Amino acid sequence: MAGSGQIRQLKRRIKSVQSTQKITRAMEMIAASRIIKAQGRVRAARPYAEGIHDIIRGLAVSNEVRAHPLLVQRDIERVGVLVNTSDRGLAGAYNANVLKAAERTIAEEEGKGRTVDLYVVGKKGAAYFAYRGRRALQVWEGVADTPHIDEAGDIAETMMARYRRAELDRVWLVYTDFKSSLTQIPVRMELLPVKPTEFEGGREIDPEFIFEPAQDELLNTLIPRYVEAKVFHGLLESSASEHASRQRAMKAATDNAKEVAAKLSRIMNQARQEQITTEISEIVGGAEALGD
Amino acid sequence: MSDKTMPVEVVSAEAHVLSGEARELYARAVEGEIGILPGHAPALVALDVGPLRLTMADGTKERIAVHRGVLFVGDDGKVIVLADIAERAEDIDLDRAKAKAQRAQERIDTRAGADLETLLVSLRKQQVRIRVASGTEITHEE
Repeated sequence: MAGSGQIRQLKRRIKSVQSTQKITRAMEMIAASRIIKAQGRVRAARPYAEGIHDIIRGLAVSNEVRAHPLLVQRDIERVGVLVNTSDRGLAGAYNANVLKAAERTIAEEEGKGRTVDLYVVGKKGAAYFAYRGRRALQVWEGVADTPHIDEAGDIAETMMARYRRAELDRVWLVYTDFKSSLTQIPVRMELLPVKPTEFEGGREIDPEFIFEPAQDELLNTLIPRYVEAKVFHGLLESSASEHASRQRAMKAATDNAKEVAAKLSRIMNQARQEQITTEISEIVGGAEALGD
Repeated sequence: MSDKTMPVEVVSAEAHVLSGEARELYARAVEGEIGILPGHAPALVALDVGPLRLTMADGTKERIAVHRGVLFVGDDGKVIVLADIAERAEDIDLDRAKAKAQRAQERIDTRAGADLETLLVSLRKQQVRIRVASGTEITHEE
């Protein structure tokens, strides 16, 4: 009988779609819980960043910060672009979107005749650029999922060291801003040079304070912490966005799987019905033939 | 010791580590050991890698390993410690810290990898963590 073979095949396909659905559903739920954790980490990092920023602004009132090696502005010839992508896939358009933003920045800088040095966080971004023949000077793996401050410090220090040596004249940070679980927007931020306006409007710290070491030296140690906190912030926002994108992608996959399974079982039921009808008419036909 | 206390907040780059009323606080500044008691003059001090010791209002002691921080005493008497890394004694994984310290020591001995400066800093960081976590008497004089 031709019908039963087709039914068996459909049954197998439904099973396979359903087991895929189970996996995507699990991934969706894991991602959902990771979003909440990642959002918590973004919030938890804020007091430190704000504290450092406040102190720098306080010191900047009565100290000249423009001469700091990270604030010095030069004619721009060589630009660093630091892109935050993910290590793992199955996150919808997350990587594609942020990479598109990075490509735009690269094209813009190169269009002005500047040289671009590429730095990448995440395997996906590294693979994307390697495939297009643009090698990143450095790739950080195993950071994107749950970033930690020492990793952010390492990345920031790499950028700052090259800026101080005047090997880079500007550094862009391209990452994904987590607006809400529904919207994540790729953005770029000028990491270096730090603009003097960022340190304006502070309440002066009373010069009667005990400063140890002296104020200008304190500024020298604090400004790199500020840059580090910015890199860390970008990493945390990106990580929250990655989990949100994955959750949405996996939800869509789960819904699609459900639909496919429903459609297949309709076809299967129809085939079974047809088979039964054929069998009955064969029996009836056979009985009639015997009755004659 | 007087009964006076001061509000203290310890904030690391990743989390809020501690907030409460303390009677005294000791830290290692870049230029030497400092002690802060309630009523301290306003100050802004860069901290070295080192342990932060606090006696809280109820007499309990807190030990926190601090890496790259600043200590701020506001004109309202509030003490804020901002540090890249600040870990309470109970949050430190002693075994892992020991393993890391050993690895750093080995690399210093064999001169493998990164520059000596970074290795020495990371070794000192681990040593501070080990001392804080294991509760060894912290004398600050080495």
